[in-house]
Amino acid sequence: MLPPVFGVLFDGIAYGMLLFVLSVGLSVTLGLMNFVNLAHCAFAMLGGYVTVTLVNELQWPFLATLPVSFLAAAAASVVLERLFYRRLYRASDLDQVLLTIGFAFISVAAAAYVFGTIQQPIQTPPFLRGSTGFLGLGLSNYRMFLVGIALVVTLLLVAGLEYTRFGAQVRAAVDNQRMARGLGIDVDRTFAVTFALGSGLAGLGGSLAIDIVGLDPSFAFTYLVYVLIIVSVGGLGSIVGSFAAACLIGISDVAGKYYAPELGAFLIYLVMVAVLMWKPAGLFGRR
Amino acid sequence: MADALLTLDKVTAGYGDAVVLHGISLTLPENGSLALLGRNGVGKSTLLLTIMGYTQMRGGRVAWRGEDVSRVAPHKRATRGIGWVAQEREIFPSLTVEENLTVAARAGTWDLPAIYKLFPRLDERRRNMGNQLSGGEQQMLAIARALMTNPALLLLDEPFEGLAPVIVDELIHAMKLLLSDRRVAIILVEQHTDIALELTADAIVLERGTVAHAAPSATLAKDTATLERLVGLRVAATP
Repeated sequence: MLPPVFGVLFDGIAYGMLLFVLSVGLSVTLGLMNFVNLAHCAFAMLGGYVTVTLVNELQWPFLATLPVSFLAAAAASVVLERLFYRRLYRASDLDQVLLTIGFAFISVAAAAYVFGTIQQPIQTPPFLRGSTGFLGLGLSNYRMFLVGIALVVTLLLVAGLEYTRFGAQVRAAVDNQRMARGLGIDVDRTFAVTFALGSGLAGLGGSLAIDIVGLDPSFAFTYLVYVLIIVSVGGLGSIVGSFAAACLIGISDVAGKYYAPELGAFLIYLVMVAVLMWKPAGLFGRR
Repeated sequence: MADALLTLDKVTAGYGDAVVLHGISLTLPENGSLALLGRNGVGKSTLLLTIMGYTQMRGGRVAWRGEDVSRVAPHKRATRGIGWVAQEREIFPSLTVEENLTVAARAGTWDLPAIYKLFPRLDERRRNMGNQLSGGEQQMLAIARALMTNPALLLLDEPFEGLAPVIVDELIHAMKLLLSDRRVAIILVEQHTDIALELTADAIVLERGTVAHAAPSATLAKDTATLERLVGLRVAATP
């Protein structure tokens, strides 16, 4: 028999896994491409609404909507990248912030206009509902599913970046854009694909989040805060750092709300301040 | 007559408002070899960068096998067959030696076995990261990385600079093998004038961004008066 603290720990890790899927794309665009994309969670929200629409209006099974929300967010990000973002790659941080936060506001207004400001209900398949007993703990099936997806995503990302030629081209372009171009690497295309992958993962995260935290038009800003905390605590551009920071923030948030309700949602900010005072570049950051 | 591999026609170029090159013209045939000489700061590296497309063209044109590439982006010039070996080597530090070689490789006669045969040291270091190499190994890797794109023209910017004599000899040996193959043309920027003239068929000397002298390398090597006037004392000391 395990004491309840393990149950809190499990919920915290599962919540952290969700935050990881939401944030890892931003870590890559911010850390590797130096682009401040505050509309990142708008892509996540888009993924969420794609899933809600497909499940509730068209009676699609929940799992089948996940690849669609990934692709929809990735496609939307490619359009924005080609039309707007690429013009600001060399611009100041302030210009990038103003453009992308504008998109975040637009996404909130558009979502409220189309779907209303109410929370969207979602029907997950029966095998993801309820919980499974494990040494006296009732582990939520959906949360176990989340942990599984996040582990697969982490493995695919690390393997893709470290062991494929495309991953090597991304690292080369980040190391030295001019030399990468001089060898014939299409740096703009490489970055656009990377950006689309990161946004697609955000879209996937938005769909996975509905069952845990709900979905309404404020999502684009509410979770932007979490995502920015994770990226800065984990260290820019580090996939492993994002993973560790997401676990830390997820556990702190759940444990804080459970054990110290009066502190509640503030604990994650204390954790962030403590980590950044100890390591200003984040847990796995290099600069 | 077939088109030359590379033709520069009255090229004027520089960075932003600063114009460095003034009306440079040159022609390089397929498999040709050209030494680019001159004192520091006369625009030798800028000329290589202009051939790659990194500078602002103010006038003239750069033609590749008869096609005007003056407005073509650097990565597209690279895929057309120009290989650039930068002065600072610019090895990718987050990639292993082997990844540095394969990251931009294109199909052709130069593949990993051929490269490791030319530079056995790189084979020994294949699993090291790009920033764990000595200066000589970095230079070998920079040349090898450009060769892996199977270029028709190799631009070499002071490849022997700051290297130990034994490494320089090794690189010269590799370069001679490369040139005797007659599969690749080179433009060589080099402060060691004697080495540059020994390796190449033709030479031009730049002065203040213009071509001050052009001659076959063998002729220029004997013309110590011109070399002394345009390149400086370092040459006078060499036999």
